[in-house]
Amino acid sequence: MQVDRSFIREVEERSGQRFGACFHCMACSGGCPVSDIMDYLPNQIVRMMQLGLRKEVLESRAIWVCVGCYSCVSQCPNRIHIPYMMDALRELALEEGVKIGEPDIWTFHREFLKQVDKRGRVYELEFMARYKLSTMSLFSDMGSGMKMLLNGRLELFPHTVKKLHEVRKIREVCYGKK
Amino acid sequence: MEKNEKKSDLEATPHPRIYYYPGCSLMSTARDLGDSLFQMARLVGSWLEELNDWNCCGASPAHSVNQNYALLLAGRNLVLAERQGIRDLFVICPSCFVRLRTAEKTLIAEPDKNDLLEEAVGKRYQGSVRLRFFLEVGSASQMNVFREAVINPLKGLKGVLYFGCLLTRPEWITGFDVLPYEDELRSFVEALGVETLDWGYGKQCCGAHLALTKPDHVDTLVDRIRDHARRVGANCMISFCPLCQVNMELRGKNSEPLPVFYVSELIGMACRLPRTEKWIRKHLVDPRELLAEHNLL
Ligand code: SF4
Ligand code: SF4
Repeated sequence: MQVDRSFIREVEERSGQRFGACFHCMACSGGCPVSDIMDYLPNQIVRMMQLGLRKEVLESRAIWVCVGCYSCVSQCPNRIHIPYMMDALRELALEEGVKIGEPDIWTFHREFLKQVDKRGRVYELEFMARYKLSTMSLFSDMGSGMKMLLNGRLELFPHTVKKLHEVRKIREVCYGKK
Repeated sequence: MEKNEKKSDLEATPHPRIYYYPGCSLMSTARDLGDSLFQMARLVGSWLEELNDWNCCGASPAHSVNQNYALLLAGRNLVLAERQGIRDLFVICPSCFVRLRTAEKTLIAEPDKNDLLEEAVGKRYQGSVRLRFFLEVGSASQMNVFREAVINPLKGLKGVLYFGCLLTRPEWITGFDVLPYEDELRSFVEALGVETLDWGYGKQCCGAHLALTKPDHVDTLVDRIRDHARRVGANCMISFCPLCQVNMELRGKNSEPLPVFYVSELIGMACRLPRTEKWIRKHLVDPRELLAEHNLL
């Protein structure tokens, strides 16, 4: 077990939160809709950061499972913004190239953002197909996809932003040239 | 001749334009919401106009993995609105709304982030756009237009209001005073003839995008919510968010599905706006039986 004292400062910096205020009342975890499938609860992540458990936190599944529903934010007596903390932690996990706790969810985000980069908008039909292909789950859930298609709830043709170069430039500014 | 008259008529009384940011889902999974909104705007004599050349706000994935990326994607739309001289920009999807609002606040509060935006799109955000959620279209007086246009009160529909997670929270981002806002929505839905029921699950999360990556868990969440809606005696749910609507109709295994209406569809039915039948058919849980049962179609 490696203890990293600078870790929590980094996360505070990135997320704009002060975790010293947390008194582990667990209000955040109590209302979290996905706590059942988290390996560590939101307040446990805070505690682990306080203990300097960098690797354990960055490789956790919890940081990927959080959907950013903001339930915890409205519950927290100290207004600690847990979803911003989660954002910062995923960012760090990707930058440091650690083992990703929930590879499918990361694939989901990545495929979605590829769509944004390609057209500036998301073409759901292609997005879903690509997500399914990359997670090798092509035939799971076909029923609901077909249903949406037949009900005219998926777009048949993609739309592209006219000034796509601006959207690409945004990517370049945020990710560096590739 | 008649045509010409109509045209000059139009020119004489310019329709107030309502500029809106549709977001990606409005173009596809939530197209019925889109259609019904157009009809709703026509009813108050306004013209809906899309923000020209808008891009995806980044949704969950962008902020999940790169906060600056989320900020600048949303920021470009703000700059576009400013360039196009738009003062009020109406946002349809609660999730886009939170993304754009967050960007607006951050860009004004942190000049170095605005520098980044300038580097990417050649212009800083000045802060002149007022972001509004689409239901704010109704200034009180316009809401009365809807109330007065009700010719088919939706008697027999018993609905629970399903706000979802992001519609009202957190209030320091959305800027809504939560309770009065929710009361207003409720009284509006009631004005359409729908009986609204009390329940405790109005803001429980539907599981959002985990529907694709963790379907089993989302089934459990949806089952729990829908089961409670049934227990208080609801025969339909009323949703404000495209993602909630799809999840509620499509997911869940152990509870009997309920039709989930958008509030704008209810307006369409209650005011007998054209094309209502067309949206109704796009539902994944067919509401026609329920509607026929109460002679509402
Ligand atoms: S609700 Fe706030 S104070 Fe309580 S445990 Fe969670 S983060 Fe800490
Ligand atoms: S924002 Fe994340 S941690 Fe907070 S309640 Fe929602 S899912 Fe749980």
